[in-house]
Amino acid sequence: MEQTKEKIDLACRTAEEFTKLYYQTIDQRRHLMSRLYLDSGLLSWNGNGVTGNETIQKFVIELPPSEHTVQTLDAQPILDNVVNGQLTFMIQASGIVKYQQNSAKNFQQNFIITAQGDKWKIVSDCFRLQE
Amino acid sequence: MPKPGQKPSWKNQYEAPREFNYAAKDTRRVSFKQGRHGGKSDHPRNKDWGETIKWHLEEEDIDMGGSSGNYRNNRFNKFNGRGGKKGKRGGSPAPLAKKRLMEGATNWYRVSVAHGEKYEKAYLQKMFLDNLNPLPFVPIQWQVMGLNVVFFVEGYKTAEKILSLDRQVQLPNGFKLFVRVQPSSPNVDVTPEMKEKMKLVMGKRYDANLKSLNLTQFHADPDLQDMFCALFKPIVFNNVLDIIVENIPQLEALNLDKNNICIISFMKKVVKTLTSLSILHMKDNKIRDITQLDPLVGLPIVELVLDGNPVCEKFKERTTYISEVRKRFPKCIKLDGIDLPPPISFDIQDEMKFPETKQTFLCNAEGQTIVRQFLEQYYQLYDQESREPLAQAYHDQATLSLTMSYPYGYDKNKTTAWLNWYNTDNRNIMRVEALDRRVALLKQGKQAVCQFLNDMPKTKHDIHSFTVDLTLFTPVMISLTITGMFKELKSGHKIPPLRHFFRTLVIVPAGAGFCILNDALHVTNANVEQTRRAFKTPTPAPVAPPTHQSPMVNPVNAVIPDDLKQRMVAQTCQETGMNPEWSIKCLEETQWNQMRAVEAFRNSHAQGLVPPDAFIGGAAPPI
Repeated sequence: MEQTKEKIDLACRTAEEFTKLYYQTIDQRRHLMSRLYLDSGLLSWNGNGVTGNETIQKFVIELPPSEHTVQTLDAQPILDNVVNGQLTFMIQASGIVKYQQNSAKNFQQNFIITAQGDKWKIVSDCFRLQE
Repeated sequence: MPKPGQKPSWKNQYEAPREFNYAAKDTRRVSFKQGRHGGKSDHPRNKDWGETIKWHLEEEDIDMGGSSGNYRNNRFNKFNGRGGKKGKRGGSPAPLAKKRLMEGATNWYRVSVAHGEKYEKAYLQKMFLDNLNPLPFVPIQWQVMGLNVVFFVEGYKTAEKILSLDRQVQLPNGFKLFVRVQPSSPNVDVTPEMKEKMKLVMGKRYDANLKSLNLTQFHADPDLQDMFCALFKPIVFNNVLDIIVENIPQLEALNLDKNNICIISFMKKVVKTLTSLSILHMKDNKIRDITQLDPLVGLPIVELVLDGNPVCEKFKERTTYISEVRKRFPKCIKLDGIDLPPPISFDIQDEMKFPETKQTFLCNAEGQTIVRQFLEQYYQLYDQESREPLAQAYHDQATLSLTMSYPYGYDKNKTTAWLNWYNTDNRNIMRVEALDRRVALLKQGKQAVCQFLNDMPKTKHDIHSFTVDLTLFTPVMISLTITGMFKELKSGHKIPPLRHFFRTLVIVPAGAGFCILNDALHVTNANVEQTRRAFKTPTPAPVAPPTHQSPMVNPVNAVIPDDLKQRMVAQTCQETGMNPEWSIKCLEETQWNQMRAVEAFRNSHAQGLVPPDAFIGGAAPPI
């Protein structure tokens, strides 16, 4: 059984919407970050692991002000029977990030997001600066 | 002769050279009637006027004295009027006293040998060498200008000695040596070739661990001897700064000791880019005034060395000196090697700290063994000529997609490391908008995935460059992100390109093992800093106790259960022959990665760095 065209379409469109919102929030409205994650969501930021949406928000607020520019985006659905039928996508983004007065750097980031009720939530978020 | 204070007449300022007019004007001195121009008038209509002018212009007006006793006295009076300089040049000279040489700002002197073109270069060089002995004679930019030979030498002593030879040495054709010396340094034009050499020398002088660049006596570097590469030349310094900005913007410490630098204003341009530059050593340069540091304001300087610059002598009180430095660098806590009392600051910092990068994050320590084994096997197969065996690692319904981009600031024209191959399958949905295309670029099913993997350029991965994030570890699903570098082989590039990848694998249990369900790969080029590190196995972790606490907090250490640690210690003891105490040290330093611990041990042991008492029984096994 292959992934249906509809599901691939949904994964891609969700990825577009999701990343737009995610980078807007992390760049400008960090006090809302926790709402993007599952309660038990996980962030690994350059190898620093943070668990729980509130803790993640706290961690992100402590980071220097950022400005992300996304350059590539990709998304794949994850097979239904692995995730118990709960719609789950893997999203991978890359681009440029500038922290405060530091020079711009490349970053890559991967998200696994899942539909919890009528909201998309991040299960895991892996961020790496290319350095 | 002009009266003191009166502007000298044109004629006196630009007096004709002595060989033209000695006979007429300075009969107390050597006459030079047999000279080529002997007895000729210095009237502008003279047919040698052009050469005369050239001679004048070359000499500028720094040491015009000496060609006329009258003028010289006037000149010396002028110095006295200014108070002289440490009395060195003051006082009335004895009639036959030699000209004194002005000490220049750069320690470089221009020597001009009148009618030097008449003599063999080798002869002149030997003549100087013999007469200067034991002082060194290293002429730079030797050239014939009109009738004269002009070159540059370094050091006041050498220059002064050369000047003392003026009219003292008999040349083979009966003439005496006429030589002029003045403070001046060679002209430099930084060619791309020279810049490349500078880059290499800087690379050699850069310490990547300490992020420090030592440019002490840069021009004296043995690898820069065939060019004049002195930092006091703004063009050279500017190029050096450009190289730093382009290649090592992360620089933290810069040593510019002993470079005769007097102009630093153009360092202003690096304030915004070298945001980590906190240690600056400029000992023994020619910084004259504290305001010369103004362009550097904004650098996060915590340690500054200005010792040996004229500016330091300007301050009577050390407190004033410190306060002037602090005004510009509020965070400075060490000045000229001496600790300063810490400044009082606010509790909210204007700059926020970055969390330290960690190479590995494991959401669950139990995953470590699985992850390690999986990665080792996977990349071992991946780097083979044929990737067909990788099929066993993929789920029947696996999906794979690829994205690519060039890194920030990457000048595509300057390199041949095109990412063209990946461009064809680049599933960047920001560009690929049609659904059919989005579907087609997602490789679906084991066969399609493996076919694609096999078609991809051959690779060699640098395992040491890998970072690993295990972000999900449940009985039904594992999510693993790997980044690192690989060399792309046999893809038609002259030099195998160095790529950076970021890859996320969703792994599910399959039978007794695991297989990949989702594979998302992003490929880009390695940046400059990465290129420097690539395929250079990090220096083996010292097996001896660390002298400093590593700033890296070990995420693995915190979560590895004690019984697993004990097993790892036992196994390390068995493999290395070291006692448990040293095995633990070794494991701790490699963040409880047993494979790396053993490898680090082997490297250190091979170099004889492991002391005998580290081994069980107190004796080292043979290497």
